[in-house]
Amino acid sequence: MAQAPASAEPSAPENGLLRRLFSSGTGVIALIYVVLYVLFALWDHSALTSGTVVNLANNAAPLAIAAAGETMVVLARGFDLSVAGVISLTNVIMAAYPMEGPDGAAISLLICLAVGGMVGLVNGYLVSVLKLQSIAATLATMIICQGLALVILDAPGGTVSDFVADQLTDVVIGVVPVAGLIILVIVAVWLVFQRTAMGIALYTVGSDEVSAQLSGISVSSTRFIGFVSAGMLYGLAGFMLSAQTATGNPNGGASFLMLTFAAVALGGTSLSGGRGSVVGSILGAGTLMLLQKVLFAGGVSSFYTGIFQGTVLVIAVVFGGLITRLSERRGAR
Amino acid sequence: MNDLTSKQPLSRSTHGAGSMMDNEKLIAESPDLRTTAKIKRETITAVGVFGLTILLIFLSRFVSPALGGWDQVNTVLVLACFLIVVSFGQGIVILIGGLDLSIPALITLSGVLTASWIGVSGDGSWYLFPLIMVICGGIGAVSGIGIVVLNIPPFIMTMATGIIVASSALGFTGGSPRGGASPLLLGLMKGNVMGIPWIILFILFFCVVGVLIQSRTTFGRRLMAIGSNLNAAVLAGIPTGNYIISAYITSAMSAGFAGFMLVGYANGATLRMGDGYLLSSIAAVVVGGSSILGGRGSFVSTIGGTLLLTTLGLVISALGVPQGWKTVIEGCTILFALLLLREDLISFFSRPKSRK
Amino acid sequence: MNASIAPRLLAYDMAKSYGATVALEDVSLQLVPGQIHALLGENGAGKSTLVKILSGVTRANRGAMQIEGHPYNPASILDAREAGVATAFQELSLPPNLMVSQALLLPNLRKGPFGLVSQSSCDQAASEILKKYRISDLSPRDEISQLTLAQRQRLEIARAMSHATSLLILDEPTAALTDVNWLFSLVREQTAAGLSVLYISHRLAEVRELCSSATVLRNGRSVADVDLSIASDADIFRMMVGRSEGSVRPAAINNISEMPITLELDHLKGSKLKGVSLKLRKGEILGVAGLEGQGQRELFRALVGLEIINSGTIKVNGVETELKSPRSALEAGLAFIPEERKVDGIFPSLSTAGNVVLPILSRLSKSGLIWPSQENKSASVKAESVELSFRYLDFLISDLSGGNQQKALLARALITEAPTLLLYDPTRGVDVGTKEAIYAAIRAYAENGGAVLLYSSELPELVRLADRCVVIYGGKVFSEFSGDEIQEESLVAALTGHRGDQSVAHNRSVA
Repeated sequence: MAQAPASAEPSAPENGLLRRLFSSGTGVIALIYVVLYVLFALWDHSALTSGTVVNLANNAAPLAIAAAGETMVVLARGFDLSVAGVISLTNVIMAAYPMEGPDGAAISLLICLAVGGMVGLVNGYLVSVLKLQSIAATLATMIICQGLALVILDAPGGTVSDFVADQLTDVVIGVVPVAGLIILVIVAVWLVFQRTAMGIALYTVGSDEVSAQLSGISVSSTRFIGFVSAGMLYGLAGFMLSAQTATGNPNGGASFLMLTFAAVALGGTSLSGGRGSVVGSILGAGTLMLLQKVLFAGGVSSFYTGIFQGTVLVIAVVFGGLITRLSERRGAR
Repeated sequence: MNDLTSKQPLSRSTHGAGSMMDNEKLIAESPDLRTTAKIKRETITAVGVFGLTILLIFLSRFVSPALGGWDQVNTVLVLACFLIVVSFGQGIVILIGGLDLSIPALITLSGVLTASWIGVSGDGSWYLFPLIMVICGGIGAVSGIGIVVLNIPPFIMTMATGIIVASSALGFTGGSPRGGASPLLLGLMKGNVMGIPWIILFILFFCVVGVLIQSRTTFGRRLMAIGSNLNAAVLAGIPTGNYIISAYITSAMSAGFAGFMLVGYANGATLRMGDGYLLSSIAAVVVGGSSILGGRGSFVSTIGGTLLLTTLGLVISALGVPQGWKTVIEGCTILFALLLLREDLISFFSRPKSRK
Repeated sequence: MNASIAPRLLAYDMAKSYGATVALEDVSLQLVPGQIHALLGENGAGKSTLVKILSGVTRANRGAMQIEGHPYNPASILDAREAGVATAFQELSLPPNLMVSQALLLPNLRKGPFGLVSQSSCDQAASEILKKYRISDLSPRDEISQLTLAQRQRLEIARAMSHATSLLILDEPTAALTDVNWLFSLVREQTAAGLSVLYISHRLAEVRELCSSATVLRNGRSVADVDLSIASDADIFRMMVGRSEGSVRPAAINNISEMPITLELDHLKGSKLKGVSLKLRKGEILGVAGLEGQGQRELFRALVGLEIINSGTIKVNGVETELKSPRSALEAGLAFIPEERKVDGIFPSLSTAGNVVLPILSRLSKSGLIWPSQENKSASVKAESVELSFRYLDFLISDLSGGNQQKALLARALITEAPTLLLYDPTRGVDVGTKEAIYAAIRAYAENGGAVLLYSSELPELVRLADRCVVIYGGKVFSEFSGDEIQEESLVAALTGHRGDQSVAHNRSVA
């Protein structure tokens, strides 16, 4: 029979789940989100109505999906700036070439996913094969995508197909927002992915690239998959953004650059890789968007939303870092 | 000599002087011939970038007769001056392995405050200009302290600072910035002395000072050491915390100064005036050949990167290319520069030729 | 060579360069089935590069390899495994975020329904592997980051053994092992069944016990194939280095006890320090010996302010001083050379001269500016005292060999003109020729009145250099030796907590 390991602390399974939740930061952001929602409910009595929930889901969906995609790259230790470019590009495609009806919507969705996926392929090639720094390579692809968006639509305008704009911001079965469903599907896919060999490889590459390679993991394939899935998620985010704004804006993705990373960091994902979760990033995005609503309900001028967002970001990162270090110390030998 | 089939075990006897001599000879014939080569990477990239710029200016004569002469050089220098100032600060931060995402917000803040407090009248310039610089520097210090003391990653900290500052500028102006440029600023940006624009003289001076600071002062050398290996810098006794904070203060103040210049150039401030400068400053540093990871790079090459990007932008505009394609070409240029400066390519070219 | 036994591994004309640095120039190697063959050579000789090529981590620029007569040119670890080649790396390659079972089975994690990884199948497969290689103190769900170094080493070896069907490569496998026989018995079992083993170690005694033959590398070439039953240690040493080893102890400096005390530690207590007291005098080389984890690392780190001290005092030149940081230590006159030069020592993107003059930059600048010629001039003065060739000063320090880098670091410490040097394993991973130069520089420094606190994991080094030597055991100074008392046997005994009588049998005059 196996004897107890030499480490001082017994690895008791009871505190394992809690510890894992908090050390990955997901628990922290979930807590923050709940606290924020409570504040929201206190200041705005319509906070718990289904209308508000749907509104929140629609608002947060593009950022949440973008943050989910970014997490796929950050976990393997990298930065993907092309999120802004892909979102702008897919948004203008939706607005400049609207396709009516459910079939049209399906084709549009496929186009968005394909565009995002191709950008992801290019990023993956530049980083994994040509060994460029991810921040520099994705900076270049972002600028190129941004330029292509301007070529397609040089000023805000165009109209997104009615089907997309109406149905995707609507509800299903009475109270469940479609946007919320889509996010849940992403979460479900993620939870499955975490338990696949590729999911484990993603974390391992981010944790220690050298030992991952020496253990037989193909670092470049892993990163490739990370970039491609990220790109496709950005495409989906652009699709949802189009549904929400119902129009095209060639610079629509610009604000996503910072907010996406803010959501990822808020969600507890470490920017140096190896630790974190898509669920956390989605909650982080939700928190950022909820913060806007809470401030509005609290009577704070919308000018100053940024100050709060920035402060919350800093506090969350510091807090999350503290928790991680504490949980590491308790479990370490 | 190393043909396996004829190899014989060498150490037959341990005491016979004769066999020892054979061994000695064999072994002595393996001196350390492995050599390493000098790679003056900085020189190669700097020459390359400047050369490309000059080539571009020359070639643009074929695009339009208005281009390709000293006039164009003049235009490039004036247009590039903002980016040169901003890229100096961003370059210093990248040198220590960080990134300053708060630059656009600081440019905007400085511009808004300059237009509003100093305004067209120019009253109180003597203390207001320094005050605005101090405010910017203070914000940079806050970023630096968050990074050093609270261990917040630079990417996040400067992002947060940027969001907060932008929001403050928004609130301060209530959405519509007021005011204009004082005569001093207008003179600096638009005036001449003996036919040469003041701004060009200033920029030349700034470039020289900037290069010297980054490459030839204790300050710059130590920053480079910090970017090269933070652990080693701490162990070598460098007060890394102070230096890192100084780098962010420098970047913030560069952004602030660029704000002054932009107000003078456009005779006013807008809330988006800093927007393009984040990615452009990173691009200028990268295209110039500095490593995005820090520890390596000189301001000379960053200047080259700035000039190249500005010239490229001018030429493309002259071609009448719409904004969208212009942006695409900018992105491709950065990509091209990155591909050319890859480590493995440089290693490939510096491999020793095979001997014997 | 017996032609009827086909070689298991055949490698010839191997050459490999990393950019401008030539790692291997002309290496050939041959193993037959069931053979345990050693690879000897100082660090920098090319062993790790050869291991990387054989393991599939990197590819050679020239040369060819064959396994059982078939071409062998792996592009990855997996390619190598397919040919039956597996390696237990010196720098343990177990990802810290994983569990034991995952690390053992990667990349073939056992899957359950829907292609998801099945933890229970992984656990079962891992348990079998652990049992097969007689590892009883690990369970499949343990996290790698929680294991001790010895446990990780055993796991690394077990993993390699589970994949190696034709060639097993063991790179310094006993560095952290407490029970070497565990390894030896496993190796003998497997080679009896036909497995070939390439064994890399600098512990000659172990090599002789296990291996029948060896290939010696020097400066990127394979200079000799050796029958270990015939060659003597001196022969092997000479092949590795090119000349005879020096071994004379320094003449005892008689008046050290009259020299002023430059550093005094009194009952220093911290997390791992349980009350360290020692005195270091001017002109003295005080050696520190200790097994891994006994507190010597924490002691040095405490002296540069990187370790928290709960109680006890540090006196520098008789004055009680608080050493809060490496900077304050430097100001107090203590210059530190850390253990890992790549991680904590060199500035890889700076030139060698730039690395050396870093501490005195402010002194170099007249009119506030520093020019390369000034850097080179100041650096060359110190470079001479450590026998660092001038032509290296302009090179990027990352292009230099490990030994030359270490010389540069020593030059940097000397340039501060600090009266005390704190050296932690200063010749780790350094070739023997450079070691001599470093020893000479240290001795010259002490002769000029400098004080040296020197930790070394190599006992012969302490025997040669130290005027006095303390042994750290259990976070305290366990015993002390001076002058001729410093002998390997007595040190070895003290390291494991034995205070025997200190009469010494001089059975090794040559190290």
